[in-house]
Amino acid sequence: MTTEVSPPLPLPNELTAPFWEGASKGQLVIQHCNSCGHFQHAPEPICSACLSFDLGSAPVSGKGTVYTFCIPTQAFHPWFEDKLPFVLAVVELDDQPGLKMITNIVNVNPDDVKVGDRVEVTFQPLGEGFMLPVFHPAAQ
Amino acid sequence: MAKKNRVAIVGVGYSDVSRGTGYTLDKLTAQSSVAAMDDAGIKPTDIDGVVVHSFPHQFVSSTHTAAMLGIPDLAFYSGNVDGAAYSVAAMHAIAAIASGSAETVLTLRTVHKDGAAGGGRPSGNQGIPGNQQFSMPYGSFTGSHWAGLYMQRHMAMYGSTEEDFGAFAIAQRKFAVANPTESFFHEELTMDDYLNSRYIAKPLHLFDCDYPVDSSSALIFTTEERARDMKQKPVFFDSWANGTTKEADFSLVGDMTHSSPWMASKRMWSRTDLKPSDVDTAGLYDGFSFIAMQWLEALGFCGEGESGSFVRSGATSATGSLPTNTDGGACNVGRRHGANFFIEVTRQLRGTAGDRALPKKPEVGVVSNAVGGFAACALLTAE
Repeated sequence: MTTEVSPPLPLPNELTAPFWEGASKGQLVIQHCNSCGHFQHAPEPICSACLSFDLGSAPVSGKGTVYTFCIPTQAFHPWFEDKLPFVLAVVELDDQPGLKMITNIVNVNPDDVKVGDRVEVTFQPLGEGFMLPVFHPAAQ
Repeated sequence: MAKKNRVAIVGVGYSDVSRGTGYTLDKLTAQSSVAAMDDAGIKPTDIDGVVVHSFPHQFVSSTHTAAMLGIPDLAFYSGNVDGAAYSVAAMHAIAAIASGSAETVLTLRTVHKDGAAGGGRPSGNQGIPGNQQFSMPYGSFTGSHWAGLYMQRHMAMYGSTEEDFGAFAIAQRKFAVANPTESFFHEELTMDDYLNSRYIAKPLHLFDCDYPVDSSSALIFTTEERARDMKQKPVFFDSWANGTTKEADFSLVGDMTHSSPWMASKRMWSRTDLKPSDVDTAGLYDGFSFIAMQWLEALGFCGEGESGSFVRSGATSATGSLPTNTDGGACNVGRRHGANFFIEVTRQLRGTAGDRALPKKPEVGVVSNAVGGFAACALLTAE
């Protein structure tokens, strides 16, 4: 018996589409304020730094540091049943102090990950053409 | 400092509580409300305010609750789905009474067992709307995920260990064993039990998690003047405060080891002459054990990063300097979303804790709720 298990797929909207479109082209794209240059993630209709509504998006370096992580050992969605254990992490991006995103650390033994590790973005197919920005240990 | 417009807790009550009552949210709500009115010795016609906190997908209406109980007319009501669980209801009710908007307010938190995780999971190919599309595709679905993130950050910053979190779980289990009518767990926990319990999201163990149940909790607040004429010895709010972080997403708060409990604690202490050393007992929210430990640090009962050694010293035990979660906490009595701490500290302060009365009768207690993006705490006094 085979069962089709669907991944949890995003439903892009006006604010979130640039992130997913960037990922599909192999770029990590974050919402960016056209008035003050502030990056924010997740995207919002207003810039929390200067209250401008003039918001766009911009590619970032894709380099960052592991702020924290955990290793889920129980799947709360069928898609993850055969992916346990994996590394769920928060990465702080180099491009702006405190600019963080939820992500996965891949291509690594989960027990080898440490807070403070340097990481770089890479992209994994999620399904239906979506690419997921994830991180792997930075080249030495 | 002499306080004006003091607010008192005059009644507390629970519904039937179990892994599956089969009762509707409304029936659970009615049960706890009646229990709290009985405790206070008052009737529905004595109540002129109702404040409820519930999950959006398990909404309990304050006005419908009032109608169900035969409360004829509400001077103040509020039904909340946002923020720090039961404490939101408490904070609204305190503010309503202190401002004169209402005199006697019923506050409620009702939850069905699957409440915390059941609301937002996508199924099939519907797609994830909103900002959860930046967490769910990475496998982040429940509180257990951000809890693991917070614990790991604390361990990295301060060198704390799984054994530190285990020490907290073991300490509050001792209280649970002494509370057999409310606790779901009746055996003491050993460090081996804790460390051998399965991980949910390493470093988070099963025994770090509160125990999902169907429950409703109710407390009745009123003015000092009215409280003096009621059945129970009143317990008073000395000071209280909310706190939030700049970032709403729990996984993206700026500083995970100094999240909203620090903001709420600082604000609360700024509003009182009492000091941490004046506090005799604590009820600190334990949706996950690390949360209670962040409160120990935020409230100033131990140094930053030192909650593990504080707990290991025995300070939070029945004979320690700060008996903490003396009902056994939500990990043992089941998920009441903060209300159990207000109820238990009230019972200890007014002297109705029965066999569980602390060896040294407490005069001042602290209660807290939530972590991460939003939190609240309050100081309670016996007089």
